[in-house]
Amino acid sequence: MSGFDEKNKRFRGGFKSFFSEWMILFLFIFLVIICCICSPKFRTTNNIMNVLRQASFISIIAMGEFFVILTGNMDMSITSTIGMTSIFFSGFVVNSGMPMWLAIVIVFAISTLMGAVNGILTVYGKVPSFISTLVVMNIMKGIYFIYSKGLPISGLPDSFNFFGAGYVGFIPFPVILMILVGVILYFLTQHTPLGRSFYAIGGNMEAAKLSGVNVKFVGVLAFVICAWLSSLGALGLTAKTLSGNVMIGENLLFDVMTIVVLGGTSLAGGRGKIVGVIIGALFLQVISNIMVLLSINTYWQWVVKGIILIIVVVIDSNTKRD
Amino acid sequence: MSAEKLIELKNCTMDFPGVRALDHVDFTLISGECHGLVGENGAGKSTLSKCIIGDNHMTEGELFVLGKKISIPNYSVRESQKLGIAIVHQEFQLMNDLSGLENIFLGRYETKGVFVDWKALEKRGNEIMEFLECDIDLSLPVKRLRTAEKQIVQLAKAILDNPKVLILDELTAVLQERDIKNIFRIINLLKAKGMGIIYISHRLDEIFQCCDSYTVLCDGKYINSGLVKDIDKNELIKMIIGRELKNVYPPKETNFGETILEVRNLTAPKAFKNISFDVKAGEVVGIAGLLGAGKTELLHAIMGNHKIESGQIIYKGKEVHIKNPREAVKLGFGIVPDERRMLGLNMQFDIKDNTTLPSIDNFTKHRIFIDHEKAAKAAFDENEKLNLKYTSLWDSVKKLSGGNQQKIVVAKWMLRNCDVFLLDEPTRGIDIGAKFEIYTLIHDLAEQGKAVVLVSPELDELIGLCNRVYIMFEGNMMGMVQGKDINQETIITNLLGEK
Repeated sequence: MSGFDEKNKRFRGGFKSFFSEWMILFLFIFLVIICCICSPKFRTTNNIMNVLRQASFISIIAMGEFFVILTGNMDMSITSTIGMTSIFFSGFVVNSGMPMWLAIVIVFAISTLMGAVNGILTVYGKVPSFISTLVVMNIMKGIYFIYSKGLPISGLPDSFNFFGAGYVGFIPFPVILMILVGVILYFLTQHTPLGRSFYAIGGNMEAAKLSGVNVKFVGVLAFVICAWLSSLGALGLTAKTLSGNVMIGENLLFDVMTIVVLGGTSLAGGRGKIVGVIIGALFLQVISNIMVLLSINTYWQWVVKGIILIIVVVIDSNTKRD
Repeated sequence: MSAEKLIELKNCTMDFPGVRALDHVDFTLISGECHGLVGENGAGKSTLSKCIIGDNHMTEGELFVLGKKISIPNYSVRESQKLGIAIVHQEFQLMNDLSGLENIFLGRYETKGVFVDWKALEKRGNEIMEFLECDIDLSLPVKRLRTAEKQIVQLAKAILDNPKVLILDELTAVLQERDIKNIFRIINLLKAKGMGIIYISHRLDEIFQCCDSYTVLCDGKYINSGLVKDIDKNELIKMIIGRELKNVYPPKETNFGETILEVRNLTAPKAFKNISFDVKAGEVVGIAGLLGAGKTELLHAIMGNHKIESGQIIYKGKEVHIKNPREAVKLGFGIVPDERRMLGLNMQFDIKDNTTLPSIDNFTKHRIFIDHEKAAKAAFDENEKLNLKYTSLWDSVKKLSGGNQQKIVVAKWMLRNCDVFLLDEPTRGIDIGAKFEIYTLIHDLAEQGKAVVLVSPELDELIGLCNRVYIMFEGNMMGMVQGKDINQETIITNLLGEK
């Protein structure tokens, strides 16, 4: 038995291997300390809650993209899933007078379909995911632009605002939602056979197949999960302004990709953690926040985020992990 | 013509993480000779040739090319090409959709201004074909050529710049007898031009047919070298194996149970047709055949990973229709694929996750959550049985040597408690010690009443381990040998389609 205990030790490399596995966490702590020193406004409870709230929906969307990247693919269509959800949900409720729960059910049905089409084209049709999701993105974009004529749809009931901007005690509701989704997905990815098969596929598709993993189902499921979480995030973003907007998801793809990679997910697939994604989202949000607090022109954010993404990808592509 | 030393390798040592692939090896090649480099799989032949062409940077030792000392850190494949070293690999390194002509001149086009001078290329291409006395239509895309013709195109490409040294790495492994004779004829032509040829082959007969001298490697160590005319085949075999054959293999199991797996008239387009065989519990059945005989496809077809057109698979007395590997695994099949890094293991996973991958459903709490402790314990027990050398279950499988990696691929199916083990070249590229352990493992599986199908390119292995050996040739079943008939000659005559 002692033999087993000996061989079942983790982090044999001591702190060093622990550090390299949780690099992003240490970087994040470092960043927060720097920000606290630089800006007194940053360390107010109000501001910290603000950062958490702003990070919440984008981190939920990023957790969806995480699954697709984990299986070695890429979903470009999230911007359209988000736009579709925002427009159709608002349209159904405001224009057609549908009850909100029904609108939500229909919107999720459409996003399931989008995810399934992405997945089926990629997994069964063997279309590179970059292309299949780009096509789905454009088709769906066309559809909701036709539906809305490109105009925003406002007039959602005020009660819906709670979903995007409400508080439970002093904690914003979106933060609670982010933590809830994070915990569920953590258990899914780390503690269920299904969750592990996402890693198995991303690490080595053929070996997973020969080991009896249902590679096609799991491959498609990754896209569906991504679409669901994009829709969930989109509902939150819509609730904040109480209006559906075709442009709501336009600039999110870049941030989502940055977050997923920043969180330690390998672009080649097979490696990454849900917790890493959440930390990645917070990391990026803290950077935006501190730049606002220091009154730096917002366009600089694009420059800074771009540089961060490329640094992380260069590191990811050139480190040999063991 | 005075013989000149083209290549001189002194004390060459090559370390890979966890494995010493070459251990103080000496090697000399002189002009105008064909030097056979022989040894088992994993003996270090390919590593040695990679050191010579600069693909590997040897850890220790000196290399002289044409009498000039090479600075190892600055050495590269480009550099070796400039010095006049060319290599033809066993695997086809041709662009399938380009013509033979373009393949030969790829990267070395003759130009008129900025344009490719196709006429000049055609002329030179024809000159080379004339020199080789081969009649191949170079205007055809390479994929439409026969295997043997592709090899000639590869050869033509290699000798285009008149290299001084030509390395032929298992060039004949995929060829038939008469095509091999043609290669020998070409080798003699090249020797006459003063070229030095390093000839790597598994087939010992070829060494005696076309080589002037030999060097034997075993387990990465230099064993001997000398002139071919001074030795006979038995002496060579003894040097290669390093011990008597009978010590290597465990005794064969003789108590068989019921027939577990029966395959009837299985046909897959372009891979194999009308294949029938059966395996009993406790039996090791071998499948012999050259590259392209359809052995790998057959195993994958049984696993549901290769389309079949017709035929039946009968498992434990009932006909089964396996649509994908998942169903096969559920039934009790396990495959150890030939490409262990590509097909057998998830290199990003650690040891325990790789070991438990097919059986993870058996280690759950409330049928939903994985019981990590139980899974790790099971992985530990299984790997302990196989005498796996590792430090922690949480280590990536990347760190392990080939032999230990292979043990994990077997361990994962043992943990799953499979009834049928399909082993596709289980000893490919692993050292002799690990090979012996795999042999013992195969014997243990049979003893436990498992049905084992063993595909191997090494006849010795099949002869030493199998109760029966089926022989495939270009997708056809040529015959079956058993008992005392399992010997080199009977298998080889069937193997080459000369029935």
